[in-house]
Amino acid sequence: MKTRYLLPKSFKKIGWILLIIGFVLGIVLLINDFEYPSFEVKVYSIIKGGALFNSDKSHFIKTNIFIEIAIYLITIGGLFVAFSKEKIEDEYIQKIRVESLVWATIVNYILLLIATILLYDFAFLDFMTINMFTVLILFIFKFNLELYKLKNR
Amino acid sequence: MKNTLKIDRAIHNLTQQQLSEKVHVTRQTINALEKGKFVPSTVLALKIAKVFNKKVEDIFTLEDTD
Repeated sequence: MKTRYLLPKSFKKIGWILLIIGFVLGIVLLINDFEYPSFEVKVYSIIKGGALFNSDKSHFIKTNIFIEIAIYLITIGGLFVAFSKEKIEDEYIQKIRVESLVWATIVNYILLLIATILLYDFAFLDFMTINMFTVLILFIFKFNLELYKLKNR
Repeated sequence: MKNTLKIDRAIHNLTQQQLSEKVHVTRQTINALEKGKFVPSTVLALKIAKVFNKKVEDIFTLEDTD
């Protein structure tokens, strides 16, 4: 049985490096209200300023580019770690992978539901920032936990 | 679904590791099969049957709960 959509296993190591750097950077940014570390640049925004559905300003806005860097590091690193092949890929591992993904998705949305009624304003916004990545993080955690349990029966 | 994997392995003097290598899966997969935690794909079942020189239905049988 062939596996679809999985990256070669060499991607896993690169992924962990990217993910950990991005994770640390992200935490530092979060704690410091996205003010540190800072490098302001002018960027082209496809939406003219303002919110996604309300706009009237110019196409160029300033942003702390470290935010974008952190998002890319965590997302790409996370994807590499989560979806690269294991040393031996067989149907049992694929079953565990699918089940872990379902588990992570469900838990992720349960967290969202809880946060929705407990957090508001900027606290909720901070949570949403973390929530961007929790599916991947939860999946990586669950999948590797199951593999560990298997190998150490 | 029941299976006679453990017995067949004993008859052919194969460890889980040896059997797993013959059918190209991990040892954990063979272990999961024997414990009834996992139903093999048709291809895997056929490969196993070939190793033991038996028919698939002689190794894997349906239970009432299936």
